[in-house]
Amino acid sequence: MIPIEEAAYDTLKQYVESLRRYFANEEGRDEIINDIESRIAELFSERLKRGSACITEDDVNAVIASIGRPQDFEEQDGDNTAHASSAGNNANDSQQQQQYKQQQQYSYAPGSGRLYRNADDKILAGVCSGLANSLRIDPAIMRVLFVLFFGITFWIYIVLWIVVPVQSLKTNITKRLYRNPEHKVIGGVASGLAAYFKIEVWIPRLVFALPLLLSIVNGAFRGPFFNFHFFPGFLTGSLVGTLILVYIILWIVLPEATTASEKLEMRGEKIDLNSIRDTVKEDLGGIKERAEKFGAEVKETAQQFGEKVKEFSAGQRAQNFASEAAPAVRRTGSGLGHAIGVLFKIFFFFIAGCIVLSLLAVLVSLFGVGVAMMPFKSYLLDGNWQSILAWSTLLLFLGVPIVAFIVWIIRRIVGAKSKSHYLGYTFGVLWLIGLFCFINLGIAIKRNFDYRAKVQEDYTLAQPNGKKITVKVANSTTRYYGSWWGPNWGGFFNFTDDSLLVKNIGVKIEKSKDSAYHVFATKSSNGSSGSQAESFAKSVGFRLEMEDSTLILDNGFSLPRGQKFRNQMVVVTIQVPVNRRILIDHSVSRRLNRFNIHFSPNDDWSFDDDWDHYQWEDDVEYIMTSTGLERADGKRTSDNFENNDENGDQNDKVDNKYHYRYKQIEDSLKVKDSLKEKAKNKLREEIKVKDSLDREKKLKEAIKSNTSNKQPNSDVTTEEPMYDNRSLSPFMIFSKIF
Amino acid sequence: MEFCILSVIRRGEAYPSDIVDEMRAANLNILEGTLYPLLTRLKNADMLTYRWVESNSGPPRKYFSLTEKGEIFYKELESTWNELANAVNALAKKTESMPDTTNQNPSF
Repeated sequence: MIPIEEAAYDTLKQYVESLRRYFANEEGRDEIINDIESRIAELFSERLKRGSACITEDDVNAVIASIGRPQDFEEQDGDNTAHASSAGNNANDSQQQQQYKQQQQYSYAPGSGRLYRNADDKILAGVCSGLANSLRIDPAIMRVLFVLFFGITFWIYIVLWIVVPVQSLKTNITKRLYRNPEHKVIGGVASGLAAYFKIEVWIPRLVFALPLLLSIVNGAFRGPFFNFHFFPGFLTGSLVGTLILVYIILWIVLPEATTASEKLEMRGEKIDLNSIRDTVKEDLGGIKERAEKFGAEVKETAQQFGEKVKEFSAGQRAQNFASEAAPAVRRTGSGLGHAIGVLFKIFFFFIAGCIVLSLLAVLVSLFGVGVAMMPFKSYLLDGNWQSILAWSTLLLFLGVPIVAFIVWIIRRIVGAKSKSHYLGYTFGVLWLIGLFCFINLGIAIKRNFDYRAKVQEDYTLAQPNGKKITVKVANSTTRYYGSWWGPNWGGFFNFTDDSLLVKNIGVKIEKSKDSAYHVFATKSSNGSSGSQAESFAKSVGFRLEMEDSTLILDNGFSLPRGQKFRNQMVVVTIQVPVNRRILIDHSVSRRLNRFNIHFSPNDDWSFDDDWDHYQWEDDVEYIMTSTGLERADGKRTSDNFENNDENGDQNDKVDNKYHYRYKQIEDSLKVKDSLKEKAKNKLREEIKVKDSLDREKKLKEAIKSNTSNKQPNSDVTTEEPMYDNRSLSPFMIFSKIF
Repeated sequence: MEFCILSVIRRGEAYPSDIVDEMRAANLNILEGTLYPLLTRLKNADMLTYRWVESNSGPPRKYFSLTEKGEIFYKELESTWNELANAVNALAKKTESMPDTTNQNPSF
């Protein structure tokens, strides 16, 4: 029989229980337990013999220390280098045991139900720290929370400050929040948080990144297609800012868990040689380094334990904290410096994230486009099979690479490792299927355009009143309102769900073979066979009408419902008789847009060769001459017709420039000519004068020699009319005198 | 560890407490809690055998001694240890110029 105190007995019982648990799966468990119990009994009897009346708790603890706790067994089993070290080990052990005792006491006596303010670990008044202690969390977290919700918590803080008494609590930081340098993307903040809360690493990362992602996606959606926000503004806008700020604050404030003990604290594991050993093992790989580090760690932990022992005896606590705070402050300082230096990493991460998000936006917009192109799809594609192909093309060919890329980037960010490459294979196969569909689709569509046919439709119209015909395009009688679902393909066609208006119309001016104006329309279309093309062409409906001297063209031509896009085109040919005029209004080029898609060289589409016939300017009157169309006002036209200006004025300006230059040249030529002419004339005159002078002389001599003879007079007179009048008159007078 | 224990027991019968003391004397700190399981394992493996000895100061105690099998095992351990020791020593002498010292883990 061994007398033992009740409290001591409890402790003993617990110890044996722990042993039993420890040896739960050992072979000789019972035997071991028995052995140990015997040993305990032995030790107790020894004490009793020495003079104790009964076994006290101290005795029990001493015995437990002697035999050892389960954790120690494990440690001693695996790791034996410790034993090969100096004599300091003995002191070590006893300190260890003390530490265990303390820790046990810590865990047995948590915040003890009462809330105190922590007098030691205080920034302002230790409120946060005390709260944290009672809740057994890191004061840092508490502080962050307080700061975040500053408005509310400010008053709480004051109240608590007044109400809660101050006590020097042992800082129960068995679990501190650190940054984890091992798994860090930018600064290891998310990683440290994850380790502290024992959650997966990607969760805090996602939490930090999510509002950012959401806001960017939101922005993408606010683009051309949707006009509402998927997520309420506060969630994206302010949360982004807050979380980024929190991240940066945490980054600066939290120290990196560099030493093994800190790493353990981060995870909330007990700091003993055991777990330190594990942690150290994690860090290092080889045996050699492990042993080395272990020795160092042992020393350090010994120091720490020594300090903790000191603190247990009170009074040292403040000193300890100060010495702890100093390195913490230092680390914070360098942390700030680090923060600046690692900003680049932020940018890198940011850019990577942006790439992901832009790809996401592309994907989303692809969907949007696909959906929006629904009406167009039914216009272009023929039948169900093609539309299936189209959808699968869109999804697989285009969507899959983007999705794959996004997933890849996200996985890289998160650090997930893929066990097998099944994901990559799946994406690759899907993409190949999409490629196949795309090719098929292309072929199918192409086949629909193989043939082209032209059909001519004549219009009988009243001849215009005057000599001029004006060509205009009517305002739309029906406005086609495209819903914001359907894109407005601007110049080429508008469509709603049930009707289709195509503006692919060209106007051509020709010389009329007779003296009347003629108008006919040439309709053309592609098709999968000649006959189909022809029937399509025939079914194109285009209207025009004549109003006084104005030919009004329809805004576009219509296709029967259900007919698909086959590059249908209408060319309106207006034949103008010679010496008649035509004026093309600017509404024509503004409202009709001619384009042509060349599909094969086989079509006898000869219109395109006659570029000249399409070259007319807006609002300019033309007159048809025998050689072709010419401007009625006689101006020269510019050579540059490539741009059909909406604004006819610009054309004129261009023309004027050309025209002016040309005129200049012309004028200079004219001047030269006239000069030449003048010169010539002058010469002629001079010659004439000379001749006349000669004649005068001859006449004089003739008169002199013919004073007796009157015959020369008549000769002279008959010759006279050949001369100039002026030179003749003296002769006349002279002859009359004689 | 087993090697050390066997060495102690080899010299003569011993009971656990003694073994612990002896090892402490040789600067090998071991906890009794570690020792007991080991002893039990060795016993279950027929390396050790024991007998109960009554004592006047408390419960009877087990006195362990080496079996034949244990002896053979011991020899094996001894040779292993010697090899290891030689290797480590050779390396240690060789790598005197190198800064890091390797502390190999002898298996007990």
